[in-house]
Amino acid sequence: MSGGIARGRLAEERKAWRKNHPHGFVARPETLADGSVNLMTWHCTIPGKTGTDWEGGNYPLTLHFSDDYPSKPPKCKFPPGFFHPNVYPSGTVCLSILNEDSGWRPAITVKQILVGIQDLLDQPNPADPAQTEGYHLFIQDAVEYKKKVRQQAKQYPPLIA
Amino acid sequence: MDLSDQVKKMMEEDEPDDDADSFEKISEAFICCICLDLLYKPIVLACGHMSCFWCVQRSMSGLRESHCPICRQPYQHFPMICKMLHFLLFKIYPASYKRRQTQILEYEKEKGSFSPQFDDPAFILETEKKLPRLSSAQESTVSEYDLLSHPSSSSKDQILLNVAPSESGSIIEENAGPNLQIAAEDVESTILSVDEEKKLQQRISSVNCHQISVCDVLCTLCKELLFRPIVLNCGHAYCESCIALPTNEMIRCHVCQIKHPGKAPKVCLELDDFLEEQLPIEYAKRRTSFQLKQDHLQQESSTTCSSEDAPESVYLPPSSAENLLSWWGDHKVHVGAGCDGCGMYPIIGDRHKCKECVEGRNYDLCGECYATGSKLPGRFNQQHTPEHTFEIMRPNSIRNIMLRLLRGQLEDTSAAPNPSPDTTENQHSSLSSDAQEAAGGGPATNDSVNQGCENERLVKCWAESNEPWRSEPSHDCSFCISPRQIEYWMGMGLG
Repeated sequence: MSGGIARGRLAEERKAWRKNHPHGFVARPETLADGSVNLMTWHCTIPGKTGTDWEGGNYPLTLHFSDDYPSKPPKCKFPPGFFHPNVYPSGTVCLSILNEDSGWRPAITVKQILVGIQDLLDQPNPADPAQTEGYHLFIQDAVEYKKKVRQQAKQYPPLIA
Repeated sequence: MDLSDQVKKMMEEDEPDDDADSFEKISEAFICCICLDLLYKPIVLACGHMSCFWCVQRSMSGLRESHCPICRQPYQHFPMICKMLHFLLFKIYPASYKRRQTQILEYEKEKGSFSPQFDDPAFILETEKKLPRLSSAQESTVSEYDLLSHPSSSSKDQILLNVAPSESGSIIEENAGPNLQIAAEDVESTILSVDEEKKLQQRISSVNCHQISVCDVLCTLCKELLFRPIVLNCGHAYCESCIALPTNEMIRCHVCQIKHPGKAPKVCLELDDFLEEQLPIEYAKRRTSFQLKQDHLQQESSTTCSSEDAPESVYLPPSSAENLLSWWGDHKVHVGAGCDGCGMYPIIGDRHKCKECVEGRNYDLCGECYATGSKLPGRFNQQHTPEHTFEIMRPNSIRNIMLRLLRGQLEDTSAAPNPSPDTTENQHSSLSSDAQEAAGGGPATNDSVNQGCENERLVKCWAESNEPWRSEPSHDCSFCISPRQIEYWMGMGLG
């Protein structure tokens, strides 16, 4: 149970999130079987932006923090096989701000990560492809790409409160 | 309004409220961007951004230059704690600062490594006098785990404890009055609306205003209120205009005579804004006198802009193992070792290690600090004295291993299996798609060109991996040097 800074920071992140967070987003640390809270793994939901093909979907994302957080970024994963040019087959998101050597800064908060990924959904980066299917359709077949995205949105309906 | 209420309700049902763990509302300016808590033993980097001592230390790279956690501006020297800010924060937020002290001390004990201790009698006496019960109670009962798992109960206890000494009457300090008031208000504030809470916050900051005075925030040189403050590597604060830019000379601190590496630091805007807000009249006076002086000199003020105004990520950091090696160049790089004199980390050039310091951390000096006979105490509270003797150290073998790997001189690499393309995922997006293809594809051959390419990939596996530094690589790559192994080779932790 070392890594004091990672846990302390995540506790503060949790507080800040509960005080204020963007509409439609969910982010909460994992609750283990024994009822204790594991701050090192967060289950989140990112809503698709209104007015885009992603609208209507509530995409589940898991953040895995290491003991070196926030010196190192968390690993952000959608469910395996998630359709998006910049998501690896395993579900890991490929985004500059989540890369320790290009855009990550310890000052980036969970909120900024989630909003950043929401932006990425509708604005894929063709310069950094991570999966074949999503990338090829995005480049070659805009109609089929759109269809796929809308299908996926239906696959992740909003949770009934 | 309805919506936010609903959300609030949902959240409250979700988990107990762990807010208000302290009755002092801390200004945004003094929240560390790394731990998101009140700055403790603050350090101001050359770009003007602030962070805690341990937060900076932990976010530095032991392999190459580090980057500011806020703006990514590169830096190579671990600055010293800004004592002026340290005492200022203690004065403004005595209870929160004390809580942070206890918390960090626990962390340090666990780590076996300590931050510099300031034996200023005023600090210790005041602390003990003001918060006798709080400190003892916290030390014995409130561990980090407790705070996390039973947040609401412990925070209530804290408020009660804070109120108690003031009620006893005998040890009330001047500024205990407002604190007591704040404590009571804060309990109420949990049921106030957001708007009211904001107003309350403003009122509290005006209470703080009475606590700080100009003499807490003086320039080291002109002894007046800091105007556009900058903090040198040695931790001393100056007005920007008091540090005359020497043409080709290094900036030297007027108090401790320590050279400041690199160009003049940028203005610490957070502190500047805070001073203007807290001491508006005095600050305005300083501004007027500064402008008068400027008019006299008929000179343009030196252009320093905060990195916050500058476009983000102007600096493109090296993103591959080759760049790491080019950064190292032909220099002797002492991975994971820092100079206790100037703070250079990692040390480049000669490294002199104290043979007599027995603390968990070595006491090291870089070639220049050794030559100039640095008399400074250790950065991590090592009990170093000038009588101690030194030995010269050879650079860690890690660089040689990496060079050999890159040049394909390590034995048995051709026999190792070729990882499947999927494993390249762990290198993440720092590689261009071309590089990924080149790195992942193709069967292993004995061709020397391909071999070099393959080995390059291996180095990337750990140098560029997005995996936590200390954990084993999650992908199945038999080429990969595990970080644990590297630490073993280096004979020391990087953290």
